Amino acid sequence: MSGGTPVIVLNQNTKREQGRKVQLTNIQSAKTVADVIRTCLGPQAMLKMLMDPMGGIVMTNDGNAILREITVQHPAAKSMIEIARTQDEEVGDGTTSVIILAGEILAVSTAFLEQSIHPTIIITAYRQALEDMLEMASSRYSVDVDTNDTDKMHELIRTCLGTRVHTQWNQVACRIALDAVRTVHKERGSDGQAQEIDIKRYARIEKIPGGSIEDSCVLDGIMINKDVVHPQMRRRIANPRIVLLDCDLEYKKGESQTNVEIRQEEDFTRLLQLEEEYIKTVCQAVLAVKPDLVITEKGVSDLAQHYLVKAGVSVLRRLRRTDQWRVARAIGATICRNPKACTIVLRGPSKDILNEMDRSLNDALNVARNIVLKPKLCPGGGAFEMAIAHAVSEKGKALTTVHQGPYRALAAALEVIPRTLIQNCGANVIRTLTALRAKHAGTEPEDWMWGVDGETGKLRHMKADGIWEPLSVKNQVLKTATETAILLLRIDDIVSGTKKGGVEGAAAAAKAAANEAAQPAAGGDE
Amino acid sequence: MAGNANTSNLLMVSGERLTGESVRHQNVVAAASIANIVKTSLGPVGLDKMLVDDVGDVTITNDGATILKLLEVEHPAAKILVELAQLQDEEVGDGTTSVVLVAAELLKNAEELMSLKIHPTTIISGYRLACREAVKFINERLVISVDDLARDNIVNAAKTSMSSKIIGCDAELFAAMAVDAAMAVRVADGKGGHRYPIKAVNVLKAHGGSTRDSVLINGYALNCTVGSVQMPKKITNAKIACLDFSLQKSKMKLGVQLVIETPEQLELMRARESDLTKERVQKIMASGANVILTTGSIDDLCMKYFVEAGAMAVRRCKKIDLKRIAKATGGQFVVSMTNLEGEESFDASLLGQAECVAQERISDDELIVIRGPKARSAASIVLRGANDFYCDEMERSVHDALCVVKRVLEGRQLVPGGGAVEVALNIYLENYATSLASREQMAIAEFARALLCVPKQLAVNAAQDSTELLAQLRARHNASQVKKDCAAYKWFGLDLQEGKVRDNKEAGVLEPAVSKIKSLKFATEAAITILRIDDQIKLTPEAPPSHGGH
Repeated sequence: MSGGTPVIVLNQNTKREQGRKVQLTNIQSAKTVADVIRTCLGPQAMLKMLMDPMGGIVMTNDGNAILREITVQHPAAKSMIEIARTQDEEVGDGTTSVIILAGEILAVSTAFLEQSIHPTIIITAYRQALEDMLEMASSRYSVDVDTNDTDKMHELIRTCLGTRVHTQWNQVACRIALDAVRTVHKERGSDGQAQEIDIKRYARIEKIPGGSIEDSCVLDGIMINKDVVHPQMRRRIANPRIVLLDCDLEYKKGESQTNVEIRQEEDFTRLLQLEEEYIKTVCQAVLAVKPDLVITEKGVSDLAQHYLVKAGVSVLRRLRRTDQWRVARAIGATICRNPKACTIVLRGPSKDILNEMDRSLNDALNVARNIVLKPKLCPGGGAFEMAIAHAVSEKGKALTTVHQGPYRALAAALEVIPRTLIQNCGANVIRTLTALRAKHAGTEPEDWMWGVDGETGKLRHMKADGIWEPLSVKNQVLKTATETAILLLRIDDIVSGTKKGGVEGAAAAAKAAANEAAQPAAGGDE
Repeated sequence: MAGNANTSNLLMVSGERLTGESVRHQNVVAAASIANIVKTSLGPVGLDKMLVDDVGDVTITNDGATILKLLEVEHPAAKILVELAQLQDEEVGDGTTSVVLVAAELLKNAEELMSLKIHPTTIISGYRLACREAVKFINERLVISVDDLARDNIVNAAKTSMSSKIIGCDAELFAAMAVDAAMAVRVADGKGGHRYPIKAVNVLKAHGGSTRDSVLINGYALNCTVGSVQMPKKITNAKIACLDFSLQKSKMKLGVQLVIETPEQLELMRARESDLTKERVQKIMASGANVILTTGSIDDLCMKYFVEAGAMAVRRCKKIDLKRIAKATGGQFVVSMTNLEGEESFDASLLGQAECVAQERISDDELIVIRGPKARSAASIVLRGANDFYCDEMERSVHDALCVVKRVLEGRQLVPGGGAVEVALNIYLENYATSLASREQMAIAEFARALLCVPKQLAVNAAQDSTELLAQLRARHNASQVKKDCAAYKWFGLDLQEGKVRDNKEAGVLEPAVSKIKSLKFATEAAITILRIDDQIKLTPEAPPSHGGH
C-alpha cells in the first residue's frame, strides 16, 4: 500500500518535457520563427503588415521590427527573437538573415540528432566551423574599401537599401546617410580612445509629413522642432551667440511644502514682488553675457519672456536634453561653420511611409557607420555565403573525426541565404543554385564573387556590378546564428511553470491563494 | 499498519502523518526524482535545461544549484537535497550536480539495506565511518600538490569546471581569463599566504558580439556613465568619494512646519534649501575629491558644481559595486556626512584613491573603469553572447570557474577528475569494508557502491558503455592499490569524448581537492539527515481568516 501512493515532489503545476522530443520541438519552433520572415529577404522582399492590439499598424520588412511585434509562447522561439534584437543593436542590419540562418542551422542539425550523434559533438563541430569561417571571411573573402570615395560609398549603401520600399528614395537615403555619418564622425586618436560615431545621440531624424520623398535632406546643423516663444522675437539670426540653459526661467517654489497665510494685503503684493524680482535677477544674469538666442530645457515664464523680448533675444523652451547635447556639440567650437552634429529632415506623403523611411534610413546610417568603422566589404547577393560554404565544406573533407558531418552541414546551411533570395524572386531554385555552386567551384581568382541577382534570379558577378555589404554585419550574423543554434541544441529538458525569484514568488503565490480563498467567503456574506 | 493516515485523528491536529517504512520509502523516492532531474546535466557531455517560469521568462542552465533553485520542490525530503545543492554552491561554487547525485544514491542503497532489516542507525554510523575513511584516503593518496604544478594546472582545473558548460568549447579562453582575474584580486592574508576574494571580480554582461569577444578588464568596471556630458571622461590620480545619499535640494521631513513672519523669510528658506546641498558639495570638493560615485541621484544644480570643478560625478551606481570600490581604493563607503557632533563634515581620509578613472567604450557599452586602485587590485570580465539567456548562463559558468580557481589557489591541492576519485574510493572502501568485522561492514560497502554513480552517469550521458568502462576503470584502480609498480594507475579516469580510460592527471582533467572532500561530506550529511527520519507529520495549512465577517 505504501508503495502504491504517488510521491509528489514537484509542484503539480509544472510541466516537464525531456530528451529528443524537447530538442525536436525547439528546432521546430525556431524554424517556425524563421519561416515567418523568410519572405522578407532580398530585393524582392514583401512587406508584412502587423496590427497591434491597439489597432495600430506597422508596415515593414525589417526582421527585427516584425519579430518585436509578434508574441510567441515557446521559449525557444523567444530566444530566436532575442537574437534579432541583438543583431539590430550591434550592427543594425542583417536581422532577417540572422534568423533565417539560425533556423536553417537548427534544421540541418535534426538529421544528426536523428542519427543519434550527441549534441556536444555537433556543437564542437559548429564552433570549429564558426572559427574557420570567421578566419576565412576576413582573410580571403573580403576586400578593403576606401571610405573617402564618395561614389563608392553611395553605391554600397544603396545595396543595403535595395530591399526597402521606395526605390526612388534610395539615392536620397544614401546621400543622407553618408553625409550624416561623416558629419558626426569624430576622430579620437589622440587620447588613445577609439573613433566614435554616435548616430543615436548626434544625428536626429525629424519627420514632417507632406512634400515629396526627394525633399528629404540633411541640415548642416541642428533643426529643432520648436518655435520661438514670443511672436515678437527674431526668427532669423546670423552668427548668433547662444546660451544653453539647463534650468528654467520661472519662479521656483521650494522643495518643502509651503502654506502661506497672509494677514495683510501688502504681504501678498510683497510675495508676488519677490517672485518678480527673482525672475528679473535671473534674466539679468542671462542678459549679462549678451546672447542672441537662449535655449532652455525647461519652461520660461511670461515675465521672463517679456524681459528677454525687450533685450531682443529669441528664446526656445522645453527642448529635449538630447537635443541640447547636439546643440552643444554643434556650436561648440566655431559658430556653425563645421558642425559635428546634424538633423535629417524626412518628407513623405503619409505617416506610415515616413515611419518606414525612418527605419530604412536607420539601416542605411548603420551601414555607413559600420563601413567607416571597419572598412572591409564582402560581396552581397549570397555570394559571400556561397563562397564561405564552399570553402568550409572543402576544408571539412580533411576532418577525420565524427565532427566532419556537422562541420560540413553548417557550411551547407549557409546556402540558405542564396536559396531564399532565389525563392523570393520566383526563379528556379535548384537550377540556379546548382549553377551558382558550379561557379564557385571554378578556379578563376574572382569566381567566388558570383552571386544571385535578387530581382531577376539570374547569376551575377558581384564585383562587376558593385554589390557589396559590410563584413562586420556578415560576421555578426554568423556569430549570432551559430551561437544561438548551440544554445538551443544543448537543451534536453524544459520545465515550465517554475516559480520566479524564490521567496517573493512563493509569497505572491500564497497571497494569491489566500485571496482566492477569501473571495468566496466574502461573497457568501453578502 | 505503518503508513496509516488515520492515526492523525488521534492527535488533536488536522494533518497527515506518515511513519516507519512508508515515510522512508517516500523520502528515497523523492530524493531519487530530484537526482533524476539534474543527472543529465552532469559532465562534459551533459546537456542543459530550459526553465520557463509562470510569466514566461526563460532560464537556460547547466548548473545543478540553479536548476533546483528554480524548480518548485514541494516534498520536504526533496527540499533537503535542494538545500544541499545550494550549500555546495555557496561553500564550493562547483560540483552541485554531483553532490545531489551522490546523496540520492546513498539513500537508495540505504533503503536496500533497510529492507534487509538493518537498523538505520547502523547504516548511519557505517556511512559516517566510510566518509571519514574516504576523506583520509583522498588526503593521503590522491592529492596532487599545487606547489609542483605550474599555472597550466590551475588553468586546467578551471577548464574542467567549464567543460560541462555552454562555454566548454572556449574553455581555453575563459579558463585563462578566470585565472588572470583571480590573480589580479589576490591579497595577502598576513600569514605568508594569499586570499583570493573572487567577489572583487566584477562580471558584466552585454549581449552582442560573440563568446570569443569577451574581455578581461584590468580594473573595476562600473556599468554607468558620467552624470553630465560636460564632465571630463578621464581623470588621473583620482580621489574617489563613494556616497550612499542623494545630492539633491534638501527637503523638510513630512510634518515639519516652519512658521515665518515676513515674506522675505520665505525667500531665505528657499535659498537655504539649495545652500544646504551646496555646502555638502563644497565640503566634498574641499576634501580633494575629483570622482564622486553615488547610489542616489544628483540634481542639475549639484551637477553644475561638479562640472565647474572639473570633477566626475556618477549617479545611480549599485550599492554592492560601491562597497567593493571603496574597499579596493582604500576609501570608505559614506552613508551620511553627519559626524559624531551632529555636524556635517567630510574628511579626506574617506576618499579612495586610484591611478585613473575613465569612461571607456568597451565593446558596445560605455563603462566607467577604475584602474590601479590603491588598496588592492581589481578585475572585471565583460561577457558577450548571442542573447541574454546565453550571457546569463555564461555568467554562472564563469562564476563556477572563478570559485574553482580560488579553491585551487587557496587549497593548493588537486585531485584527478573524470570519476577517478570516485572509483579509487570505491575500491579502497570495499577492501576496507571486508577488513571490518562489525555490522557496519555492509553499510560501508554500500557507500562504496553509491560512489560509482558519478562515473556511471558520466558514461551514460556520453552515450558510452558504462558497464565496460567502469570495469576497466575499477581494474586499473584495483591494480594501483594492490600492486606497487602500478601506482600511476590511480590517476586514471574517463575520457568521455573517446569512450576510453586515460590518465587524467596527464590530460589535465583536475578538480580542487577541497571541493571533492566537501561534496562527499555534504552528501553524506544530507543522506544521514534524511535517513534519521521515521515520522512525518504534515499539517494541513490553516484556513485563512475569512474577510467581511462581523
